Amino acid sequence: MSAAQWGGAGAIFLASAVEWVEAFTIVLAVALTIGWRRATGAAAAALALIGVLIAVTGAGLEAAQADIDRIRAAIGVFLLLFGLRWYVKAIRRSAGRTALHDEAQEFAETREHLEQSESRAAWVIAFKGVLLEGLEVWLLVVALGHTLSYAAAAGSALASLVAVIGVGLALQAPLTRVPENTLKFLVSCAILSFGSFWGVGGIVGERAAWPLGDLTLLLLFGTYAVAGRLIAWAARAPRSGGAIGARA
Amino acid sequence: MRKLLQLIFGDPRNVAAVALALLAAYGLARIAPAASGALLVLVLLAAAALQAF
Repeated sequence: MSAAQWGGAGAIFLASAVEWVEAFTIVLAVALTIGWRRATGAAAAALALIGVLIAVTGAGLEAAQADIDRIRAAIGVFLLLFGLRWYVKAIRRSAGRTALHDEAQEFAETREHLEQSESRAAWVIAFKGVLLEGLEVWLLVVALGHTLSYAAAAGSALASLVAVIGVGLALQAPLTRVPENTLKFLVSCAILSFGSFWGVGGIVGERAAWPLGDLTLLLLFGTYAVAGRLIAWAARAPRSGGAIGARA
Repeated sequence: MRKLLQLIFGDPRNVAAVALALLAAYGLARIAPAASGALLVLVLLAAAALQAF
């Protein structure tokens, strides 16, 4: 694999880890209410649906006979939309303007909600929780997989899932120590880098827009990372001001 | 469906920022293609800074 492919696979691994950690918190809360068997059944059903979505959309894009530059441009635009959203969210959290995602709080809230729910409703909560977190993984695997490699993209997401499940089952507790915001920030820098590279490259022509070739990806990543830290520093909220809550 | 669209596009400010950045890059590419990418990055960073405050 090339350096760009390793970068893409790494971004998918970390982005997926953030989503799987959030999904694990929900499944753990449900498992303690209706049992592991039913909770993991709901999670497995949602993961199977995500797997089908990846396979169908991936195959569809592979079969599309469109010009590679057009496909890259479309994927680049999608990555810019996705990456900028994560980038701004991570900066605001880092600056203290939006509350950090708290797995312990999420776990407590889900448990409280489940106490008033029936067994079937709890199953649906686990299914929907995993599905919603998994949808972002699906979008990234399909977007990056088309240009990198579907096997590497899907493999990264799967390896991330196995790692989160392994650590989660060993601890039997919400994964509160995972630095979700730092991971989200780094992943958003990587996604924006790929999005910028392919978005402009697809419209203008890769060689014309980025004369340094693949090396540009590293420069873009560094630029977004440094600028993001500076923006977070400049935007840091005054200590007396409370951060507004936010999910995911 | 609404959640999926929100996952893909984000809020209107997000869409407007990306559209503006791409339009600016496309416009500059006609005169100076090698500078178009840098302009896209600058517009995106400016949009991120505006949204961060």
